[in-house]
Amino acid sequence: MIEVKNLIKVFEGRGQVVRAVDDVSTQVGKGEVVVIIGPSGSGKSTFLRCLNGLEEFDDGRVIIDGIDLTESKTNLNAVRREVGMVFQHFNLFPHKTVLENVTLAQRVVRKRKPAEANDKAMRLLTKVGISEKAGEYPSRLSGGQQQRVAIARALAMDPKVMLFDEPTSALDPEMVGEVLDVMKQLAREGMTMAVVTHEMGFAREVADRVMFMDAGRILEDAPPAEFFTAPREPRAQAFLKQVL
Amino acid sequence: MPLKRHSVQWPWQALLAVILLGLATGLWVATKRVNYEWRWERVPQYFAYRAEASQTAPVAGTVRGISTDGAYSRVEIVPEDGGPSVTVAVETDTLKVKAGDPVAEGDDIGAERHWKIGPLTWGLWVTIWISFVSGFIGLIIGLVTGLCRLSPNPTLRGLAVLYIELIRGTPLLVQIFIFYFFIGTVLNLDRIVAGVGALALFVGAYIAEIIRAGIQSIAKGQTEAARSLGMSTTETMIHIVLPQAFKRVLPPLAGQFISLIKDSSLVSVIAITDLTKSGREIITSSFATFEIWFTVALLYLLVTSLLSQLLFWLERRFARSD
Ligand SMILES: Nc1ncnc2c1ncn2[C@@H]1O[C@H](COP(=O)(O)OP(=O)(O)OP(=O)(O)O)[C@@H](O)[C@H]1O
Ligand SMILES: [Mg+2]
Repeated sequence: MIEVKNLIKVFEGRGQVVRAVDDVSTQVGKGEVVVIIGPSGSGKSTFLRCLNGLEEFDDGRVIIDGIDLTESKTNLNAVRREVGMVFQHFNLFPHKTVLENVTLAQRVVRKRKPAEANDKAMRLLTKVGISEKAGEYPSRLSGGQQQRVAIARALAMDPKVMLFDEPTSALDPEMVGEVLDVMKQLAREGMTMAVVTHEMGFAREVADRVMFMDAGRILEDAPPAEFFTAPREPRAQAFLKQVL
Repeated sequence: MPLKRHSVQWPWQALLAVILLGLATGLWVATKRVNYEWRWERVPQYFAYRAEASQTAPVAGTVRGISTDGAYSRVEIVPEDGGPSVTVAVETDTLKVKAGDPVAEGDDIGAERHWKIGPLTWGLWVTIWISFVSGFIGLIIGLVTGLCRLSPNPTLRGLAVLYIELIRGTPLLVQIFIFYFFIGTVLNLDRIVAGVGALALFVGAYIAEIIRAGIQSIAKGQTEAARSLGMSTTETMIHIVLPQAFKRVLPPLAGQFISLIKDSSLVSVIAITDLTKSGREIITSSFATFEIWFTVALLYLLVTSLLSQLLFWLERRFARSD
């Protein structure tokens, strides 16, 4: 479903060069759940943002469901609608109600009829347990509720892949659970997911594979049972010692 | 400040009253000293007045009778050549004939009065529509220029920057002269077109900067969220960025439009009869210099405060989602 070959992303600014993603190659199969962990600044977000072309990378290729993002004839917008993304800070549209947040892209991008889009939105909002807030503006919602709306908004496009960039990091502890529950359900339903998170419990329970990133490279890629009990890399061992 | 204290208000309000009273007295004394005679009663006629149009006899004949109905009188004339009688309606107090009088064709019978709008009303109207039209065009220019200013294309960006700097670095008065005497002559423009054009270009540059700042103030995450849903750059602009930016730029935009109404007074230099020019013209005939200028100022104040009320109301409507 996702294929990455020799991906390189370099940030240049103020005389210093940061290799945020440094020659990364990997694959994610259909229905697989991959959790990416690593210290701050290791390039996790940048890597994830390269997967839907939000970040223009310098070299390598990213192939989503057989479509190569680097090819000049590829319509990036067409690829992006197949790849849902959930952000750390939700990024809901503040001038639109919850319902409109979920219907807007369906109408504009998928050209669905209002009734059809509303229907779909209400079903998804029910699924993430927030249908009673459909008419509210995002500013009236708690962080956990906003993040669940953001997930519904991404799902409304019927994506083939979902990317999560620290979806629970900006939440108060008591709201983390409600968002993780939604994500677990998605994983059970067979969604292909790439998740950057610091929730080790989630990784253990849901992930098919755990990737450990440091300094722009994937240093370890193993099933959670293996990774959490016997990490091979010394830096992964040090990192796990810190967070567990 | 730990506790909210109820500060005593009335001494300050009293002081305010004293200061205002002092200013009013100063004004009064000042006009006394220059021996100015106030003639406020002359002002209303410049808003609207009753114009007299004299009515003449359409045929030669004799006045058979006059039927008076309050302010109006109907004069019935029997023609000499024996045709059917004709009636002429005039104001009673302007009647110049009585029953039995012989009249020749073209003789004055009296006058009819009707309301005509005066130069102040007319000037106010010109000021309002010139501001409105140039503000509207300026808004479009500003929107396009603001977007160009943020465009990744260096040509568009360069042109936008050049235009904005040229306009913001020169006085409006000079721009109006250049527009009228140079561009207006080359393209053979009407003075009104030149005036509106100069104002629109002027305000457009300022609006462009307001729009640019508004767009830049929208968090990057909004664009990223929209793009990650598959929206194109244009769709993102239309549905996500511009609506939010518009809400934010409403207050500075309001200020700009209010400035525009005031700045529009400068078009009077190319002989467009706006409110200011009307005021100047009236003064040459009425000699009520102070009254007319005060009235003109008040009219500007009226228009600008109505506009700011309107925009305030708009702003409150947009605040719904906060
Ligand atoms: N827009 C940018 N311009 C310049 N450098 C950037 C930019 N974005 C990221 N970087 C750099 O790239 C590196 C990787 O950043 P990235 O945000 O991907 O890390 P991360 O693993 O997601 O960290 P965190 O856990 O703190 O979110 C960092 O060194 C960061 O400073
Ligand atoms: Mg990050």
